[in-house]
Amino acid sequence: MVRQTLARWNGSITIVAVGWALWSLPTSVSAQGTPNASRTATSPVPAVATNSTEAGAAAPQRALLDQYCVACHNQRLRSGNLALDTPDVTKVGAEPEVWERVVRKLRLNAMPPPGRPRPDAASSQALVSFLKTEIDRAAASHPNPGRVDTFHRLNRAEYKNAVRDLLLVDADVASLLPADDSDRHGFDNTASMLSVSPVLIERYLSAAKKISRVAVGMASGGVSRDTYQAIIYEVEDDQANASDELPFGSRGGVAVRHTFPVDAEYEISVRLRRNGYDFIVGSAEPHQIEIRLDGQRVSSFTVGGEIKGTPAPLGFAGNLPGSPEWERYVTTYDDKLKVRVPVKAGARSVGVSFVSRPTKPEGIRQRPETVMSQSLTWDNPYGNPAVENIKIDGPFHAAGVSDTPSRRRLFICQPSGTNASEEAGCARKILAQVARRAYRRPVTDAEVDTLVGFFKAGRGKGFDAGIELALERILTDPNFLFRVERDPATAAPGAAYRISDLNLASRLSFFLWSSIPDDELLEVAVREQLREPATLAQQVRRMMAHPKASALVENFAGQWLQLRNIERVAPNERAFPEFGELLRRAMRRETELFVEHTLREDRSLLELLTANYSFVNGRLARHYKIPNVYGEQFRRVTFDESADRGGLLGQGSLLTLTSYPTRTSPVLRGKWVLENLLGSPPPPPPPNVPGLPERGEGGKAASVRERLEQHRKNPPCSTCHAPMDPLGFALETFDAIGKARRVTEAGSPVDAKGAFPTGEVFEGLAGLRSFILGHRDAFVETVIEKLLAYALGREIETHDHPTIRKIEQLARTTDYQWSSVILGIVTSAPFQMRTALPRDGREVAGVAAPARGGQR
Amino acid sequence: MYISKLSIPRRTFLRGVGTALALPLLDAMVPALTPTVKTAAKPVKRFGVVYVPNGITMAAWTPKASGAAFELTPILQSMAPVRERMLVISGLNGAGGFGHTGAATEFLTGVKVETGAIAGPSIDQLIAAESGKETQLSSLELAIDPRDGTGNCDGQSCALSNTISWRSSTLLLPMENDPRIVFERLFGDSGTSDSAVRRERLQLDRSILDSVTASVADLQRGLGTGDRHRIVEYLESVRDVERRIQRAEEQSARELPVVSQPGGIPRTFEEHARLMYDLQLLAFQCDLTRVTTFMMGRELSPRTYPEIGIFEAHHPLSHHQGDPIKIENITKLNTYHVSFFASYLEKLRNTPDGDGSLLDHSLFLYGAGMSEGNTHDHTNLPLMVVAGKDFVPGDRHLMFNGDPAANLLLSIADKMDVPIDTLGNSRGKLLLHTLL
Repeated sequence: MVRQTLARWNGSITIVAVGWALWSLPTSVSAQGTPNASRTATSPVPAVATNSTEAGAAAPQRALLDQYCVACHNQRLRSGNLALDTPDVTKVGAEPEVWERVVRKLRLNAMPPPGRPRPDAASSQALVSFLKTEIDRAAASHPNPGRVDTFHRLNRAEYKNAVRDLLLVDADVASLLPADDSDRHGFDNTASMLSVSPVLIERYLSAAKKISRVAVGMASGGVSRDTYQAIIYEVEDDQANASDELPFGSRGGVAVRHTFPVDAEYEISVRLRRNGYDFIVGSAEPHQIEIRLDGQRVSSFTVGGEIKGTPAPLGFAGNLPGSPEWERYVTTYDDKLKVRVPVKAGARSVGVSFVSRPTKPEGIRQRPETVMSQSLTWDNPYGNPAVENIKIDGPFHAAGVSDTPSRRRLFICQPSGTNASEEAGCARKILAQVARRAYRRPVTDAEVDTLVGFFKAGRGKGFDAGIELALERILTDPNFLFRVERDPATAAPGAAYRISDLNLASRLSFFLWSSIPDDELLEVAVREQLREPATLAQQVRRMMAHPKASALVENFAGQWLQLRNIERVAPNERAFPEFGELLRRAMRRETELFVEHTLREDRSLLELLTANYSFVNGRLARHYKIPNVYGEQFRRVTFDESADRGGLLGQGSLLTLTSYPTRTSPVLRGKWVLENLLGSPPPPPPPNVPGLPERGEGGKAASVRERLEQHRKNPPCSTCHAPMDPLGFALETFDAIGKARRVTEAGSPVDAKGAFPTGEVFEGLAGLRSFILGHRDAFVETVIEKLLAYALGREIETHDHPTIRKIEQLARTTDYQWSSVILGIVTSAPFQMRTALPRDGREVAGVAAPARGGQR
Repeated sequence: MYISKLSIPRRTFLRGVGTALALPLLDAMVPALTPTVKTAAKPVKRFGVVYVPNGITMAAWTPKASGAAFELTPILQSMAPVRERMLVISGLNGAGGFGHTGAATEFLTGVKVETGAIAGPSIDQLIAAESGKETQLSSLELAIDPRDGTGNCDGQSCALSNTISWRSSTLLLPMENDPRIVFERLFGDSGTSDSAVRRERLQLDRSILDSVTASVADLQRGLGTGDRHRIVEYLESVRDVERRIQRAEEQSARELPVVSQPGGIPRTFEEHARLMYDLQLLAFQCDLTRVTTFMMGRELSPRTYPEIGIFEAHHPLSHHQGDPIKIENITKLNTYHVSFFASYLEKLRNTPDGDGSLLDHSLFLYGAGMSEGNTHDHTNLPLMVVAGKDFVPGDRHLMFNGDPAANLLLSIADKMDVPIDTLGNSRGKLLLHTLL
C-alpha cells in the first residue's frame, strides 16, 4: 500500500484554512418555507424570493431562452419534461429545480440538440453564469442543508470496520451478513436504501455471537471449517507461482491468510483438482507437495504415480472404465493430504505448493478455462496436478485462553479473586468503555446496567463468558447498528440547525474511515471542540493521514467509478484467452492504488485524468506491454510520451468494465464518462431499440463504430447518442480488456476520432483527456457531487448544487487538491447542519416516504 | 472439446466444493422424516412462487387451444408428467411499470413503481403473515443470482430488480442465493443438531432481542412520526425474529433430519438450482415454512448458460430483435428453466404428506413479469399455476382479456385461505374455475 507523509496535507491546509475562515456559516438560519420536496411533481413554492433581479439584467437571458429553447421546451410540448416559457427569469431563486437543469445541460453545451440553431458560446456561458449566480444568491439567504434519516444503518463495510476498531477482530462480513442495496447512483451507504429485514436481524444475532467469541479469545462451541479456493481458472503459465508467499522453486498452489482464533491444534487439509470425471489430475507421475505455515514447512507428501490396477483409456468418452481398484485410487489419493499442527492465535499465512520439476511433459493441449465456461474434460494424467482448495479445521484441544490483541484491548482489568462485587466492578469498567466506543457517545448508567445484567447472566461459565454475552448485546443494540441524529428540542420546525459535535464526529469518521470515531476524535467531540475550525481542520488532516483512510478509496472510489463491477465482468474466453483472475485482481488494484496515491499525496483532482504514471505488477505490466516489471508486488511506473496511457481513462479496469464480453462498446464507455466524469447521465434507452447489426452495409464485416452510425443518422437516437458515442470512439484504441490496439475486431484500422455536437473534436485518449479538461468545472463538480453524496449518505438534491459550486470555487484556489475538496465538504452546511422536521411531520426530500396503500 | 451434459455417463457430476453439497438431499432423508402437523381433515397448504426474468418467448409458451384440450408447447414440454395439475393462464397484464425493475416489482404486488423504492406488500408476504403464525420461518426468499453491483438498473436502484418480495410498501426483502446460509436459516448455526445446545442458544437470542426492544423504546421517545419509519421497521423485524425463536423453542423437541450443510454456492447453475429447490422441499417437508419465493434469475440477469450451448448473456439475448437464432436460444433457455421446476414438482409429488403428497397440498405460481423481453412488454404475462387437486381443476389453459394480473394474486390468496380485497391495481378475483 502506498503511504505517504503528512507534508503534503500540512502545506495545503494553511492556504485552505484562510479560505475557510472567510467563509462563515450562517449563524441564524430559518427556512420558514417548505423544504425542497423535489420528488413531487410540483413543489409548493413559497413567496420567499430574494431581491428580484432587475428586469434589465434578465432581459437578454429571457431573449436567449425565447429564441433557442422555448420552441421545444414550452408548456404545450414539454420536451424532456421541461418548460422554459413560463418560469420567470427575474425570479430564478424561486424555481431552482428548473434552472439547475438548464445549467447542467449547458455546462457541456449539450443543448440545443445537434442540427438546431444554437447561440454563440459567449451568450451561452453568460446565461449559465447568470443562472448560477442567481440560484446561489437565493440559496445563501435561505440555506437548506437537507436531512439524512434519523436512523442511518451501518452498511456491511462500516460494520466490519467498526468491529475491527472496536474489538480488533477481523469479521468476514461477506459470509456473515447479506449484501446491502445501493441507490441508483451506486452508493451503498445511502440511508434510505439501508433497510432492516428480519433476515438481517437474524444474521446480526449470529454475527454478534461469532465475533464476540473471537474477541474474548474463547474457543467457540465447536470445530469450524474454513475453505479457501485456489484460483483454478487461470490460464497463466501453470509453472509459475501463484503467490510471492510461496518459495522459489515451487509451482502452482495457494497461499492464504487465515485468522486462527485461539491457541490450539488445527488440521490443514488439501484437495487436489479433479477433472469432469472426478479423476485427480496429474495422477500418472509422482509429485511432491508441501504445506507451510508462516513460511515454515510443516509437512511434505508425495502424491500420484502409484499405478494400481488398470487405468481407463486416455481420451475416452467415459464409457470405458478402468479397473475398480484404479478408479478408487485416482479419485481418492489426496485423502492423505492433511496435517494437524499446533498454532498460536493470530493471522498467519498458510501455503500449499508443489515442488517444481525442471522438465515439463507436453501433454495434450487443453482449452483455456474460465469461470463462465464449463469444460468438463481434462483427462491428462501426465499433466501437472493442481490444488483445488485448502481446508482449515479447528480449533482442537484449545488450551485455555490465548493472548491475542483483541483480548489485550478488551480486558483493561482482570478480576483478581472471586469477590463478586469486585468482579462486577471490573466488568462494568470494561463494558462501559466498549459501549462508549460502540455507541459513539458517553453512555448512561442505565445502559451500562443493562450490559452488566447480561454479564451476570453469562457469568455462570466464567468471567470471560459473561463479558462475551454482554458484547453480543452491544453488537445488536440499535445504538451500535444505527447512526442516530435527533432534532434538538430547541430547533424550530423546518429550520436548519447545527448538528452536535458527537454527530459531527460520527459523520466525519464514517466519511473518511467508513468506521467509528477513535478515542481522540470522540474526546474532542465530547469537549465540544470539534466545531472550532482549526480543530476540525487538524482532525481532518490527522484522519486523512491515517491508514484507515484507505476506506475512502475502497468504498467511495470503488462505487463512484463502479470499480466493484470488475468482479463480475466475463470477457469471452475465446476472444480473450489471456484474461484471468490474476489480471482481474491486478486491474482493480491498479486503480485503487492510483486513486489512493492521489489522495494521500494530496494531488489535484485533475491528476486523476492527467497523470503520466500508474501502479502495476508483473501481470499487468505484461498486459500493458511495459517491460522489465516482474512479480506480484505493485510499483509505480511512469509512462513516456509515446505510451497511450495515464490517468483513469487509460486503466484496464475501467476499460474492461465498460465493454461487452466479446467487443468494445463506445456507447457504454461514453455513458460511463458522461455519468461519472461529466455529471450528465443519459436517460435509459427505450426498450424497442433495434439491436446493433452484426455486420455493416451489404453484409460486410464492419467495426462497432461503423455499425453505430445509425445512432447519428436517426434523429430520435441522436439526441442522446450524439454526445455519448464520440466519447467512446476516442477510446477505441483499447480493446475490450484494455489492451492497446491498432485494429478493430472487424479487422479495420482503429478510428479514434470523436466529434462532440458542439463541434469540438478530439482523437484518442489524449484528445478525450483534453476535451474533459476543457470542461473541468463539469468534471470537478461531478467529483464533488459524488463525494458529497457519499459523505452525507443521501442523494444529492437540487438545493445542494449551490454548495457544490461553492466548494468548487474555493478548491479552484488550490488547483483542486483533494484536501480542499474534502475540507470543503466537511465545512459545508449540509455536512454540519440539518433541517429539522417540518411541523406537519411530512417527510423531507431525500427520505423514503412512509407506507401507503397495501393491506397491512 | 465440450461434452454436453447429455453424454456424461454414470458419474454424479461433482462431489462438491469442500464439504458435501448434499446432492441429492432427498433420497437420503425421505425415509427418516416423520410427517408433522397434518391430519387428513385439514391438510396444511403451501405456497411457492418461481420467477424467471427477462420475459419468455410467447410463441413457444402460449398454447393455441384454450380449455382442457390444449397442447403442451415446446417450453412447457417438461411439465407433461404433472399436466393434470397445471393451469396455463394467458391474457393478464402487469401494472405498467418501466422495464425490468417494473416487471420485478409489480409481479407479486400489482404496484407500478413511480420513483424511489416504494412498491407495496407482495402476495407471498401477505400469505406468510398468516401461515407464519404456525411455522418457524414465515417465508423463505431465495435466488440464484447474486445482487447486482454498483450502478443503476433501468434508472432505479438495482435493489428493485433483485427481489420480488415486499414486506410492506417500503421494506423489500433480500433474496438469499447461498445454500449454506439458507441451510443455517432453516436449521440454525449452532453447528450441532443437539437440541439442548440449540435451545440454550435460542433462549440467549431471545433475551438479547427482548432487551434490545427496550432500547428501541428509549430511542423512539420524542420522535415525530416522520422520523420513525426506520426504527419501526427495525422493531418489527426484531419482533418477527422473536416469534420465530419462540416457535423454534416450542418445536425444538422435534426430530430434524441429519443432512450435511452445503459448503457454499455450487459452481454450476444446474447444481445450484437443484440445491435451492431441494432446500425448499426440505423446508416444506419439515414444516419450517409454508411460503417460498424463488427467483431463478434476477431481472437484467447477465448469466450465460454454456451447459446448454448459450454463450450470450441472458439479458442482451432477450433483446433478440427478431433474429431467429437468438429467438431459438432464448426459447431453449426458457425451456431449461421450466425443466427444473418440473422436476421439483415431480419430487413434491413423490413426497408423502398427510394423506397424500406435498404436491397435493401446494399451490405454485410460475411466471415472468414481462412477456416479450425484447420490447419489455408487460401485457399478456406468461403465467402458470400448479396446484393440488383440491385447489382448482387442472390441465387447462385459461385465456383472459386484459385483466390485471393482480386479480390472479387475489384468487391465489383466496385459495390459500387468506382473503384479501385489493392488491395494487387489482379489480377483483379471477374465477379460476371458469373456462373462457
